[in-house]
Amino acid sequence: MKRLYRMLLRIYPAGFREEYGSELERQFSDEYREAEGRRARIGVGLRALADLAATAPAEIAREVRQDLRYAVRVYRQRPVAMALALAALALAIGATTGIFSVLNALLIRSLPFREPERLVESAVPPLNLLLGGANAVDAWRNGSPYLEDVAFYDPKPMNLGIGRESWRVTVSETTANFLRLLGAEPELGRGFSDGEDKQDRSRVAVIGYGLWQQAFGGDPGALGSTIRLNGVALTVVGVAPRNFDFPEKTAVWTPAAYNHLSATYFMSRIIGRLKPGVSFDQATAMYHADIQRAWGREPQFKRLEDEARLYQLRDRLAGPVRPASLVLMGMMAFVLLIACANLAHLLLSRATERRQELAIRAALGASRARLTRQLITEATVLTAAAAIAGLAVAQWTARLAAIAQPAQLASRPYSVLDWRVLAFALGLAAATGIAFGVLPATLIGQMQRTQPGTRGSSASRMRAVLIALQAALTVTLAAGSFSMGRSFLKLMGIDLGYRTSRVVTMSVSLPHWNDHTAPFAREALARLRAVPGVESAGAASYLPLVDSKIQEGTFFRLDRSEPKQNARVMITSPGYFRTMGTPVIEGREFTEADRGGAAPVVIVTEEFAWRYPRQRLVGRMLYLEPASVWATIVGVVRSQRFLGPESDPWEVIYRPMDQYEQWFATFVAKVRGNPEGYLAACRDAVQGTDRGIPVFDVKTLDQRLADAVARPRFYTTAIVFLAGFALLVAAIGAYGAASHSISQRTHEIGIRIAVGGPPARVRGMVFRQSMAPVCVGVVAGLLGAAGLGHFLKHLMASAEPTGIWICGSAAIVIAAATACAIWTATSRVVRTDPTAALQVE
Amino acid sequence: MAKVDERVQAQLPLPPPIFHMLLALCQGERHGYALKREILRRTNGRLNLGAGALYGSIARMVERGLVEESEARPDLHLDDERRRYYRITSLGRRVAQAEASRMRDLVQLAEDCLGQPETA
Repeated sequence: MKRLYRMLLRIYPAGFREEYGSELERQFSDEYREAEGRRARIGVGLRALADLAATAPAEIAREVRQDLRYAVRVYRQRPVAMALALAALALAIGATTGIFSVLNALLIRSLPFREPERLVESAVPPLNLLLGGANAVDAWRNGSPYLEDVAFYDPKPMNLGIGRESWRVTVSETTANFLRLLGAEPELGRGFSDGEDKQDRSRVAVIGYGLWQQAFGGDPGALGSTIRLNGVALTVVGVAPRNFDFPEKTAVWTPAAYNHLSATYFMSRIIGRLKPGVSFDQATAMYHADIQRAWGREPQFKRLEDEARLYQLRDRLAGPVRPASLVLMGMMAFVLLIACANLAHLLLSRATERRQELAIRAALGASRARLTRQLITEATVLTAAAAIAGLAVAQWTARLAAIAQPAQLASRPYSVLDWRVLAFALGLAAATGIAFGVLPATLIGQMQRTQPGTRGSSASRMRAVLIALQAALTVTLAAGSFSMGRSFLKLMGIDLGYRTSRVVTMSVSLPHWNDHTAPFAREALARLRAVPGVESAGAASYLPLVDSKIQEGTFFRLDRSEPKQNARVMITSPGYFRTMGTPVIEGREFTEADRGGAAPVVIVTEEFAWRYPRQRLVGRMLYLEPASVWATIVGVVRSQRFLGPESDPWEVIYRPMDQYEQWFATFVAKVRGNPEGYLAACRDAVQGTDRGIPVFDVKTLDQRLADAVARPRFYTTAIVFLAGFALLVAAIGAYGAASHSISQRTHEIGIRIAVGGPPARVRGMVFRQSMAPVCVGVVAGLLGAAGLGHFLKHLMASAEPTGIWICGSAAIVIAAATACAIWTATSRVVRTDPTAALQVE
Repeated sequence: MAKVDERVQAQLPLPPPIFHMLLALCQGERHGYALKREILRRTNGRLNLGAGALYGSIARMVERGLVEESEARPDLHLDDERRRYYRITSLGRRVAQAEASRMRDLVQLAEDCLGQPETA
């Protein structure tokens, strides 16, 4: 019983226990002895327990309050160093938490699908199935040994009309089983029933929850009402569940037939659900066998084989953001470590400076446990403050990340206010607080054993390790930032195949685009060219840097002998390439003479021409399928990098607008002076062609380019900033360490100078000694930097490996910066007055 | 003197256990357990301080300078090495007096309002 009570006494805080523990025990044993009978003894025990429960929290609070008061007093003596440590830690904890909120959304929080781990996706269905028609697709779906079910889908922007209002939204044409396969139970109404995806019966639609709220005010009467997609009337049969907007923020789902007759088969994707018991690896192997079987006889598909891969849907949705976020998280861990090393270093210096005070307190009876707690409390106060400030940083980081790499699903925004993210931040703060509070605290034990005044060798060893660690991590980060910065500058210097300056762009939604496109475009171009200040104007089915799906592809043959190939098709007006600043390398641009009735002509890109090295293409004939047209190549133009500098140039066949019936119209105008000032005028000009047609997405091409490189810019800025910050913290750490070591050695330095050592030489000695750990760290950092290059690829596809020059210059910068800091710190040595120094202590 | 008065006033009102302990210590030095038993006796068993409450109060009293640990031990053969004795400080005495007078004023006020209790 007494032993149990003694154990329970451990609940009290150390200070109170040391002071009164034996008294408490004594009293308990007295009461226990005096109690007569079993019941009375149990009563004593219970009373003691109640007493403990009632008083322990108050005692703990009292002691923590004491420690806190003391901690604040200690921190006030070193405001600058503490503020820096706090800022470093707040930034590190905050940014790490912010990135974690991204990872949390991408990888940890579950997808809004039934059994999402069994969902797989591929960009490329075995195409011959499609050529074989709907029956072949059905046969493949039903006969698959590894997929329980397969759905096809194809998201694209369309004009949505409800009543008198119109929107431009993403519409997904899917097979009838799409929603069922994902396990998305309609909020209202029904999904698609089998057979609704057969040709000519697809006159129904399921609308998204957001659209239902926005357009119908959440009225259940929406069911059965009519909506128009690109002018085609559909009946609403269901409302998708809340937060369900897969794929790509879809607002309307319609059933579609998937076979070679549908215009979009070229771009459709498939999603499948694995059969129970089939692993992802097995499925991948069987999918490849399917592809081999399907494509073995069709050489024109050979080129697609690289793209034919099965993905886990989760990975696919996280996409390129996932490895990038992991790399960023790794970098953040570096900064966190540097910040922690900084904090530990500071606490360590405080601990050695306070050695005397602590030794006195220990002599007065404060136990090691009590002093350890004191130091841990001090560290925890710092980290708790840092964590709170960090949450603000985290919120900001998450917002920045959301701009640079938007979340794929509405149900998974990056949120800091998620219990996992908050737990992460809290855990991080607690872990750093305890780890780096314990570090100086462990030294107390050794301090109590050594005489006050002797050099705490383990403390200085620890400090050297911390300095080396900081230097190493900083070199690695700096090398990363150099590499990213250089790659980014290079990226911005890449020849896009067009010039972005002084260009205004806009898109137009034509409701009945079947017949009207070319006449509409001709009139709109005439109006655009009439705007004062517009140098030239053009129209195209797809503009570079415009976020729309580039759907149209074609099969073609060059002359009669060549095998069938495929390439993208785009429609352009005369004057388009001139307006975009795209050089015509050979032949000519389209002219007004390339009319509907004239001989069919095409222009191809340089990338296309490289398929036929050392051949003159201008003047040769292309046979286009399924258009069944023989067209003459009249020009070769520089390839445009459509998706921005990081994307590859494409093989494109351009056709003149008058020789093509239906296309999605976008307009460009080259203007004089600042294009921002022309946005409204250009929009009004195109709008004036037909009041009933919405003109949208009016932006300068420069703005589009900025959007396209937002992600690499975000990563580059983040890393350059982190590296700069790390450098600052490391330099200040080195300065602090050197000046601390000098103040600890004032006596020794005084003796050296007193016995005739020239102060400059003593300074050199101190400098060399302080630089030693930095050098070790820099060398270690070089190795880290060399390994880093591989990971940078995930942040920017064009990131260069960290070569010897980059690593070397990073090492030199860090070494030079810390050397400056240390040299400044050692200036005190020269000023040392030996007599005064000898009087110290 | 004004300063001491301020210090005294700042401590008021005293929690009942502390007041009782100060009163008990006015009678001489005591160790913790003896204090507890004395208070138990004086209050007819109504105030039974557990060990934690007792030493928590003692710690607070030491902190505020109301009591101090005494070096002097009573008769050696009566003493137990492990026991710690406490004695009241002059501040403690003044605080106890102030608390008593505060209570007297309070009682006075109550009687003015309510009249004398009938059983008196």
